[in-house]
Amino acid sequence: MKVEMYKAIMAAQMSRRNMLKGAASVGAIAAVGGAGALTAPKVANAGGHGDVRAQILQIPGVGMGSPTDADWQRVGELCLGPVRENVAEGEFEGVELTFLGLNNQNLHNFLFRGFLKPWEAYTGAKINWIDLAQADYNPRLQQAIATGTVDFDIIEMGAPFEGDTAGKGLLDEMPEWVKDQIEADDLVGYLQPPVGTWDGKTYRITIDGDCHTFCYRKDYFGDGAIGGAEVPRTWQQVNQVTKDLVGKTDPMTGLPAHGYLDPLKGWGGFGFYFIANRAAAYAKHPNDPAWLFDPDTMAPRVNNPAWVQAIQDVMDLIETPGAYPADQINADPGTTGFQQFLAGTGSMLMWWGDIGSNARTSDTSVVGDVVGFGINPGSDRVYNSQTGQWEDTYNEAPNMAYLGWGIYVTKNVQGDDLKRKAAWSAAAHLGGKDISLWMSAYPSGFQPYRNSHFQYDEWEAAGYDRDYVEDYLGSNADSYNHPNAAIEPRIPGIFQYYSVAEDELAKGFAGQYGSAQETADAIAAAWEGITDQIGRDTQISLYRASLGL
Amino acid sequence: MSAQIFKDSDTDRKFRPVWYLSRGLIYGVLILWAIVCLFPIFWTATTAFKTAPDVMQGNIIPWIDFTPNWLGWRSLGLSPDTIGNESTVREEFLKRFWNSTVVSVTASLFAVVLGSCAAYGLSRFSYKFGFMRNSDISFFFLSQLILPPVVLALPFLVLYKSLDLLDTRIGLIFLYTLTVLPIVIWIMRDQFSSIPTELEEAALVDGLSIWGAFSTIVMPIALPGMVAAFILSLVLTWNEYFFAALLTSSAAKTLPVMVASQTGSQGISWWSMAALSFAAIVPLIIIGIILERYIIKGMAAGAVK
Amino acid sequence: MEDGDRLHVVTADHISDQRRRLGKTLVWGSAALMALIFVLQTLDGIGTLTIGFENWRPSLYAYLFWSTCLCVSQVLIRGEHGKRTLFVLPAALFVISMVVFPLLFGLVIAFSDWNLSSPDGRQFNGIDNLRQMAGDPFYWNAMRNMVWYTAAIVVEYAIAFGLALLLNGQIRARKFFRVAFLLPLMLSPVAVSWMIGKSMLEIRFGPISRFMRYIASEPSADLPAPLFWIGSYISDIGQWLGWASPSFFGSAGIARAMIMMMDAWTFIPFMMIMILAGLQAIPRELFEAAEVDGASKWRQFWEVTFPLMLPVSITAILIRIIFKLKLADIIINITSGGPGGATDSVTSFIFREYRDRSNVGYGTLLAIVYLVVIVIAMTILMKLADRWMKPRY
Repeated sequence: MKVEMYKAIMAAQMSRRNMLKGAASVGAIAAVGGAGALTAPKVANAGGHGDVRAQILQIPGVGMGSPTDADWQRVGELCLGPVRENVAEGEFEGVELTFLGLNNQNLHNFLFRGFLKPWEAYTGAKINWIDLAQADYNPRLQQAIATGTVDFDIIEMGAPFEGDTAGKGLLDEMPEWVKDQIEADDLVGYLQPPVGTWDGKTYRITIDGDCHTFCYRKDYFGDGAIGGAEVPRTWQQVNQVTKDLVGKTDPMTGLPAHGYLDPLKGWGGFGFYFIANRAAAYAKHPNDPAWLFDPDTMAPRVNNPAWVQAIQDVMDLIETPGAYPADQINADPGTTGFQQFLAGTGSMLMWWGDIGSNARTSDTSVVGDVVGFGINPGSDRVYNSQTGQWEDTYNEAPNMAYLGWGIYVTKNVQGDDLKRKAAWSAAAHLGGKDISLWMSAYPSGFQPYRNSHFQYDEWEAAGYDRDYVEDYLGSNADSYNHPNAAIEPRIPGIFQYYSVAEDELAKGFAGQYGSAQETADAIAAAWEGITDQIGRDTQISLYRASLGL
Repeated sequence: MSAQIFKDSDTDRKFRPVWYLSRGLIYGVLILWAIVCLFPIFWTATTAFKTAPDVMQGNIIPWIDFTPNWLGWRSLGLSPDTIGNESTVREEFLKRFWNSTVVSVTASLFAVVLGSCAAYGLSRFSYKFGFMRNSDISFFFLSQLILPPVVLALPFLVLYKSLDLLDTRIGLIFLYTLTVLPIVIWIMRDQFSSIPTELEEAALVDGLSIWGAFSTIVMPIALPGMVAAFILSLVLTWNEYFFAALLTSSAAKTLPVMVASQTGSQGISWWSMAALSFAAIVPLIIIGIILERYIIKGMAAGAVK
Repeated sequence: MEDGDRLHVVTADHISDQRRRLGKTLVWGSAALMALIFVLQTLDGIGTLTIGFENWRPSLYAYLFWSTCLCVSQVLIRGEHGKRTLFVLPAALFVISMVVFPLLFGLVIAFSDWNLSSPDGRQFNGIDNLRQMAGDPFYWNAMRNMVWYTAAIVVEYAIAFGLALLLNGQIRARKFFRVAFLLPLMLSPVAVSWMIGKSMLEIRFGPISRFMRYIASEPSADLPAPLFWIGSYISDIGQWLGWASPSFFGSAGIARAMIMMMDAWTFIPFMMIMILAGLQAIPRELFEAAEVDGASKWRQFWEVTFPLMLPVSITAILIRIIFKLKLADIIINITSGGPGGATDSVTSFIFREYRDRSNVGYGTLLAIVYLVVIVIAMTILMKLADRWMKPRY
């Protein structure tokens, strides 16, 4: 599959002249995409930007396998333009910065190192890297905060941790010039303030937009296909199709066919998002922004009928022999996404957008040609927490899981203006408009998050086929702009709630509790404990603030 | 090694078929276990040269099942085509490799020195520190091995912060010395107990001091044991992950943290994971091959008297 | 051993009063200096004085200085006896200094309500954590699992002993086999859990599940009749074992067994080399004598080899138990304790409480209780072992 794609691209490879022409037209026909709700992307500097943008999208090229260090350095070099405007060559000579980020295989810090190498060469600053494994990230951050050992100047951090950091006054407010350099108004709507701000101040350079989208195998659905003619639109249908697929054969691999892939094992807290996908459709009522807790009392809603229904759905599939692949009880979201779905096992999945860009550009994927996208499935009925009644209306609620990664500068830099400027310059380089396009197109760990990422022509010129990219990006855009998006609260310790929920769910799925209700009650009890431990009153006020109440 | 325990006695020779059968069985078991031991290492080594389809299909034998590829090593900047170029990943890898080497070797040496002295003392003299006698002192040392690391995690973070030892190699070395000291003491105590005291007594009569006797007479005899203890310490410290992740950030970071973090939110590139894992275990494998005879000589040499 | 030195040294030290005084001055002087610096730093820390210490290094140096003086003075005051103390003293001082503060602080944490995310920080809560522990079924579940895991050492020991006997026998390529058998010990648990637990045990394409499916599959009909017959017999066994659709972590029992096997894989070499070393130290004459007596191999083993190997076996098993009690890395990486806590070890359970949920107070208490349980259990075991090994001394 890969080889053919590669050949096709090589054959169609454009001359530099053609590329420039294509790029110039980008500005003209910007924002033609399928998502009408999108505002027109900013096209200032289209000429200069366009050149760079088309150029970087060819590094290394779709179908050329995963990018390597040399590619990151080249992309970083090509995107230095905005930095040059604000910083003189060698201006930060002698400045040393410490950068804390995730060390993820060929992603995150690996990329940042490559991107910032030319930045270091140009500005003269030096960056020391702190790499953390994903599993260590939260504990390490919490321990650093609690013991006062914050020894980093720049941090790559997810929005859910803003409660823990910004809430404790550990961050440095973003200077105005940075906002201009990164063209912050290009961010998609839901990432605009209040997200990224705390108490009205902006701290975050967004480098990622997060939501879960629905991925399915196109060869399972359609006329005469084994999964039925229609792609499921509701969770009820998803479950039914999954049960019906038992005993059938996968059209691509010839192995047993499977339907929806629920991760049944925890993932350092991140596994909770996946039960939340199911629950969002049942529990996120359009008239109520809250769906995890009661905003007045912090009483967990996780054991209300809506959530119990979501847990029950999973338990039903566990009860159905053959619905899941073997050993699903030991499958975390990494397994379902990368080892199962991208490798050709199972036909439906909710995941972050990485699956979309990885399906085409990652070395691990075999499903690139047959994958389709949509938003989080809905439900035939929705639970209204206020009335305590189910309402028989169709409801859908995309899950904005994690709200994306951002780059933050800590208050360690305060008092040293040069260091502060250097830290923000480095951060802004990573959050730059052009570099972000590359990050959303290639395996990076980051999703599209700017309006300008949805200019489908650019993607087409880079070698994606139009249908695929409209499908993939469209699902993201539709989720971002959905009026009933389920947005997660940025309260301190949010991952503790997720982590304990994950643990209790795993026990429930393994049959340690009597029923879905008992499992949910166990989670609720644990959540109450955490709320009391952290402080109920502060949690209530922060929760309300994060919901905009 | 020269000890032939299962000698062919006359009775054996009378039953040649039985003998052959038992030989076959013995070699069968040996080869089977060798496969059990080596296959995972072989798997790691070969996976480092695979591409995605090879991993997916679970191909096993290079050149027959699949064509080796430098993908995994390229991602580390260690493949033939990238070795000459500047690579941020390779820099990172080499820095960590060097830190790991310095920390584990120094800590192991330190532990062997401290531990040997203590073990010698414990095997030769009876002490009384307050209520503590020899066996209590031994147990006191040993109990450090039992301590669950979680108990110490946060206290160490606070302690090291106030001593300005966070993210320093020396801090890590101290901690690692602490963790392997018990095992060194245990091994060395058995070593020294097996060495007859007459040797030292003779030396003492000749006018050597007790430390002189220790360093010139006892130490050379106990050397294999010290090498064994050293290697064991090296293995434990080289692979230590929990405290390395907790107490280091940029200056003293070590290799296991890099291996562990190959596993993030974006799936696993098995080839890179395998290349990194393999690069991390190669030094120990080499040491194992070269110094293997010392390990066996040194371990529990005093166990049988 | 308890009733006197093994090494008898006649010492004729003439220690002058002056020298003794010098020694005492050194100890007390440096102790006073250490105390002074410590007090100064404390006062500086709480803000009574402003000296502006950047960190507690001065106290550390003062401690090091005092330790050195203590060691030197031992020799000054007690002469030859002091030199003997000098063997143990540095190690003891090192361990005490490294452990006492963390352990005390750990105890304080254990009796506190401390969630790292809480803005109020640490607060004493008496025995609340203990009460919570008593009612935490999954902690006790993890404790029960530890009993299973520890029990598995018997099997590991038997395998290790068998391998050691084979290696000690008259075989070719001994060096190769010895190195090969030793290698698993060298690998890091992190690498083991990923390359074996996740890659080799992958359900669809992992070599092990492919092998199992191959065994369970019907043999090709082209095969000659006898081979076909054997093949189908094997495949029947394979199917009976459920190898047609392998599952490694699906059910509690199998998942626990897989963890045990992976852990055993890395640590069998450790016991093996200890036993092998012991075997090689057995004097050959003993076997020759036994052979002359006409003892069979079987009786030789039970009457000569095994009794002689008892002390080293006990040592090996004790060390192995200690390592086993710390079992965590593999579980954290592969199963996270699942399914439903069936593979949880105490350490992996505490890790989740402690690291994933930043519930430091409760996590530390669990760890300390575990420590107490282990210390008691190990003391009893070692007393028993001491009794068994008595003939040695």
